[in-house]
Amino acid sequence: MLQDIIRSKTELFADGVQTVLRGHENRQRSVTLLKGNLVNNGRSEAKGISARVNNNGTYGFASIAEYTPEAAEKVIKAATENALFLGRHSGRNIVLPASLGTGFIDLNDTIVDTEQKQIIEACKALDSYVVEHCPNLTSRTISYTEDSQDRIVYSSDAFSGHLVTPRCYIYVMMTAETKDGTPVELFKALGGYGSFHDNFDNLEQYHSDIDDLYKKIMDKREGVFAEAGYKTVVLGGMMGGMLAHEAVGHTVEADLVRGGSVAGPSLNKRVASDLVTMVDFAHTYNGERAPLPVYLDDEGTKAVDDVLIKDGILVGYMNDRETAQEFGMQPTGNARGWGFGDEPIIRMRNTCILPGKNTVEELISSVEDGYYLIDSGNGQADLTGEFMFGVTCGYEIKNGKLGRALLDTTVTGVAFEMLKTVDMVSNEVTWSSSGFCGKKQRMAVGMGGPHMRCKIMIGGR
Amino acid sequence: MSEIRTIADKFDGMIKNNHIEKYSYTLSQSEKQELNLENGEFKLMRTLFNNNGNIKVFLGSKMGAVGGNDITDEGLKKLIADGIAAAESAEEDPCHDIAPDQGKDVFKQGALEPDLDKFIERIKEFLDTVAKDFPKVRIMASTGSYDKWNWISRNSNGTEFEGFGGQYYFSIEICATDGEKTTGLDYTGFSTKTLDKPFIEMADIKEKLTNIELSLNPVALEGKFEGTILMTPSQAGGFIAMSMFNFASSGGIIDGTALWKDKIGEQVASEKLSVALKPFDERIVMGERATASGFRTEEADLIEKGVLKRHLLSLYAANKTGRPVLKNSGFDLVVEPGDKTFAEMLASIDKGLLLGGFSGGQPGANGEFSAVAKNSFLIENGKIKCAVTETMINGNLADVMKNITAISKEQICDGGGVVPYIAASGVVISGK
Repeated sequence: MLQDIIRSKTELFADGVQTVLRGHENRQRSVTLLKGNLVNNGRSEAKGISARVNNNGTYGFASIAEYTPEAAEKVIKAATENALFLGRHSGRNIVLPASLGTGFIDLNDTIVDTEQKQIIEACKALDSYVVEHCPNLTSRTISYTEDSQDRIVYSSDAFSGHLVTPRCYIYVMMTAETKDGTPVELFKALGGYGSFHDNFDNLEQYHSDIDDLYKKIMDKREGVFAEAGYKTVVLGGMMGGMLAHEAVGHTVEADLVRGGSVAGPSLNKRVASDLVTMVDFAHTYNGERAPLPVYLDDEGTKAVDDVLIKDGILVGYMNDRETAQEFGMQPTGNARGWGFGDEPIIRMRNTCILPGKNTVEELISSVEDGYYLIDSGNGQADLTGEFMFGVTCGYEIKNGKLGRALLDTTVTGVAFEMLKTVDMVSNEVTWSSSGFCGKKQRMAVGMGGPHMRCKIMIGGR
Repeated sequence: MSEIRTIADKFDGMIKNNHIEKYSYTLSQSEKQELNLENGEFKLMRTLFNNNGNIKVFLGSKMGAVGGNDITDEGLKKLIADGIAAAESAEEDPCHDIAPDQGKDVFKQGALEPDLDKFIERIKEFLDTVAKDFPKVRIMASTGSYDKWNWISRNSNGTEFEGFGGQYYFSIEICATDGEKTTGLDYTGFSTKTLDKPFIEMADIKEKLTNIELSLNPVALEGKFEGTILMTPSQAGGFIAMSMFNFASSGGIIDGTALWKDKIGEQVASEKLSVALKPFDERIVMGERATASGFRTEEADLIEKGVLKRHLLSLYAANKTGRPVLKNSGFDLVVEPGDKTFAEMLASIDKGLLLGGFSGGQPGANGEFSAVAKNSFLIENGKIKCAVTETMINGNLADVMKNITAISKEQICDGGGVVPYIAASGVVISGK
């Protein structure tokens, strides 16, 4: 883990500008077994220092792939020069955002390294379980990935701190064939926040997940195409989380609001049914650690929760310090960079639609003719709120009961119209945290949601 | 002698001292100067000095691969120690290997020294042109960067390649607004080694700006029909890439799930389609010179007149399956032009979509895709009727390749690939 060798360099911060100095390390570990063959066996670390200087709205950023006091001096100097250089070409001139307090946030956790051999053994153990318990697969992949982040942040006029975000997962991927020989696939991510031993000392805990995945892919072997059209569906919790992130979350990022997103004219207006409340949680949900906790962002803003939609009304955006000032809101700690060379931009943290009162069974039994959409492999959204999620796992619902499995399909809609059709919300939340959000840089994010009954457009043959 | 070569010589000594007999490694240093614009204004200038080192260590037939950005003495020592530990923990697998001796070579590509003042002038000129000629377009975000790098790659069979490269890259993220009406987002970009042309004339920039302004009043389609998609070059390139990676790449050939695993020499696409990887084509700015396995990169025909010529196989996959390795690990895609103009292609379509964006995931091994058609227009009776919203396309990649009905004479080059417009029939297009 990083040792604090940059604190003394805060003396070099210039007056009249806002400066943030960041020491940063990303660590990756990866192992992949493809049909039992070790096709990937890798480890890497990327470490460096960056500085960002805000000179009346013109920003200079510089980074070096060295973690030394000398590198800290160089990046402060280079970032300052970049801000001044760009100022000569830019018409920007803003009042620097006011400070919301200062202090130091202590190290929140540790990152524990694990020998590659142990990682490989764990993958082999899960691979053996699949071989023994999941016949009739045409292929299987067990893939371990760890991408932990370690940051030391010093700000000239805001909070400073030392924060880590360890996370690791084992993906189990299965491929089977339909009767006509067409391959179908499903995967499940096991693990989450923490180091290897936090997640994978007890592998037996994941056997039921593998059994469940196997049942679903055997169902999918017999799957049918969805019927294209505007349908009543029950979105599973993973789909609810994707909806929170893709369909709504991106439109309420203040940099995209400033660019013309649909959330601009929708502030303080109804954008969803009154059953929908959505929050971007900083680090704690229901009194427990959120999937990927954020305590301090890379501008030195202490992270707090950000309520985005309350009872169906759009009430807030996710901001950095500059946009918060522009929109008259409080920054809540969303400005983050993924690697040491990445400047902070507005990112989500743990974005979640809150649970309601119905049971999942009540939602499914209420649908006469529709679909139960359980899992998504990917999603994208647009400024207009038009979104797309790929559906990798789903079932028909006929007369309130689950029917045949679905082959891969896609759903789409316009978020602030679709959310108004939500008329039942389940009383539980499913979280996921294995993915990356892409917005210039990658970023680890958490997303969560309940089951929701709504109307949505589904693709099919 | 370059700094990276000096570091490599030192690294060789460390490897020798650790008695590693079989290895390959790459060390690099890079520098980025990046200008970021928001809503048409310069907002941030970013400088990144980066290093990278990665090594594959072989102990017998056990292989470990490690990497990092610390190429100081201490960092290099750690790379070797981690590489040995990773190899020790691996399984015996003789299919892991490195390329045989490829000799020694030095490659110089692109713009090795930047002209940042000229670069900024070109960006300002572009902003002025957009403001004047495309008044409803908003450039939400734009990035102009100059990157240069120096790398060296050696292996224990005697190969040594060194590369020097530099290129400019410019991208835009745009929408159009008119009163309270806003379109969705669209993106494009290009890389170049010269600044001798205005950016408005590069790649598909002008087409993107024109089309986003025409998208302010989209129509949501009702019902569904089977029609033709006329893919813009960026989308056509995407469909070809998805097909090759889905049906003919290492993972699917190793595990046997790739649809084209036994199709070498067979017709997998329309005879109108010829596709190759051409890293030495003068239109490609920074074509690959050495593969990830250490081979000297070669040009490769992938599909010739619809016939599959080869698979995209890494050295490991080739050894595992007993098939030939592809000495090309980049994707410098060149698609041969067709015999019709874009206008003739459009005029020949009774009903379909001009497909400007594909919002969907990577199709599964079976090639089925289901996606939202973004930045797209309805075609009826040979003419563009209107922009569409909430419109989906469904089909199968393999069928799209077979159902190609026409390829344009015009090609678009974005510095990384050269692709024409491609039309394919039999795609299900659906709305509410």
